[in-house]
Amino acid sequence: MSLQLLFDALSLGGIYAIAALGIALIFGVMQLVNFAHGQFIACAVFALILPSSQAVAELGLGRLPTPLLIPVILGFGAALALLAEAAVFRPLRNAAPVALMVASFALGVALQNLLLVIYGSRPKAVSLWAGLGHPVQIGGAQVPLLQLLVIGAVALILAGLALMLKHSRIGLEMRAAAQDFGMARLLGVRANRVISGAFALSGALAAVVALVMVAQTGVADVRMGGQIMLIAFIATVLGGMGSLAGAVAAGFAIGAASALLQMALPAEARPFRDAFLYGLVILVLLFRPQGLFAPAGAKPRV
Amino acid sequence: MMAKLGIHDLAVRYGKLTAIADLSFTVAEGERLFISGPNGAGKSSLLGAISGAVRADHGRIEMDGDILTGLGPERIARRGLSMVPEGRRIFGALSVRENLLVGTGMRRDRAAIADDLETAFTAFPILRDRANAPAGALSGGQQQMLAIARALMTNPKVMLVDEPSLGLAPRIVDEVYDRLCALQALRGLTLVIVEQSSTRAARVGGRMILMRGGRIVADGDAATFAATDLMSEAYFGDAA
Repeated sequence: MSLQLLFDALSLGGIYAIAALGIALIFGVMQLVNFAHGQFIACAVFALILPSSQAVAELGLGRLPTPLLIPVILGFGAALALLAEAAVFRPLRNAAPVALMVASFALGVALQNLLLVIYGSRPKAVSLWAGLGHPVQIGGAQVPLLQLLVIGAVALILAGLALMLKHSRIGLEMRAAAQDFGMARLLGVRANRVISGAFALSGALAAVVALVMVAQTGVADVRMGGQIMLIAFIATVLGGMGSLAGAVAAGFAIGAASALLQMALPAEARPFRDAFLYGLVILVLLFRPQGLFAPAGAKPRV
Repeated sequence: MMAKLGIHDLAVRYGKLTAIADLSFTVAEGERLFISGPNGAGKSSLLGAISGAVRADHGRIEMDGDILTGLGPERIARRGLSMVPEGRRIFGALSVRENLLVGTGMRRDRAAIADDLETAFTAFPILRDRANAPAGALSGGQQQMLAIARALMTNPKVMLVDEPSLGLAPRIVDEVYDRLCALQALRGLTLVIVEQSSTRAARVGGRMILMRGGRIVADGDAATFAATDLMSEAYFGDAA
């Protein structure tokens, strides 16, 4: 029972953490809360299927064999984010942070409507990796294989990202730029390279979330971007804006709280689980308005 | 001989406020130039404009005859002009070594980078001792030395230093200037230093430009400035 809860919390929290990281990465380098991130996820979801008015979607890219599908869809997410950066955010680079934020909202709405035009508003059933649903016996718990794979993939991604940030050239530049972009540029760090790198990573992470959401829920719905965006955004705020480790920790915390509430709440209160969840978030922010893990030098200075 | 750095009719404005008005001067290769003057004289704006961090309204900035005006700060840094900014602006969450390596992204020769890291550690032994500590944990004086060492890691030909003595005890300031001058001799650097204290500039030695209201009011040997009353005129003098 409690083992089951642990797996639920880890897999749900892992997805929230990956989604929150996508937002925190971009906020870190350019103080932009990218509200289009949820629609990046939705676009990656719909890239898997072909446009149709059917209730059961026909797979498009999703038909590719898995070893090919994963890099292709990650590349799609990265390319979409890079395109958005070049077309929308680069021309506004020196605009006020609020202008950037509004632009990201507008981009999100535009992407969502694009999906509506191409695919229609009807949610579609998608069967991706259907074989991964069967349960595995671990201790006393019945855990779907997919859940284990998700937990493993999230751990791998987080470790890989941490290594990259700590030991690669672009990682060093991103960390320096996140602290003081102006100073980093004075030392020859190219703003375009760092920002493009952050967007590409963020877009690839959005695609990871998309793959997992489709595999877990079996649905492609235009609205799913907005829902995950809300949670991811809350996780970045709770984590202390701009703190990557904070975003990850808060993502897991929200996942754990969500799984706990699902178990602990009486059956008649369960439909209102999210209300309890957001209530908890408000409570945390009342006591720590700077977030749980606010970085030391969090003042923007570009 | 061509000037290392040439400033021609430079103007910087922030809205209606004029920070620098039609400023012109040149700096020779290997020269040490102090820029002094009261608060609001436009010293930091001048360094900002040269380094590309602040946009020039008009005028021209040249290094080795190449025009720098209009280039972004990273492009200017990549051409060999480095900056030690006011307030040091070290990356506090990064380790000391990582701070030093941020500016080496433009360089391909790994052996030369390793040499320069060794030079920096030799010039500032404290940085070697604290190489893996977060830079934010260093004292003010140590941070100033890190900022200088960090700027040198880009392998610059020209280095701009904004108020290296700010907030430091006089004994530490002596040490900072000693190292700075030694490194200048070692690397054949051209140095432009904003320094409020004319006595300090006179003691270190070099040329000095005195600014006021965004213009140059005097230009000469720093040693002679301290002796004359040009300084007090720049600070308090009548507007005529």
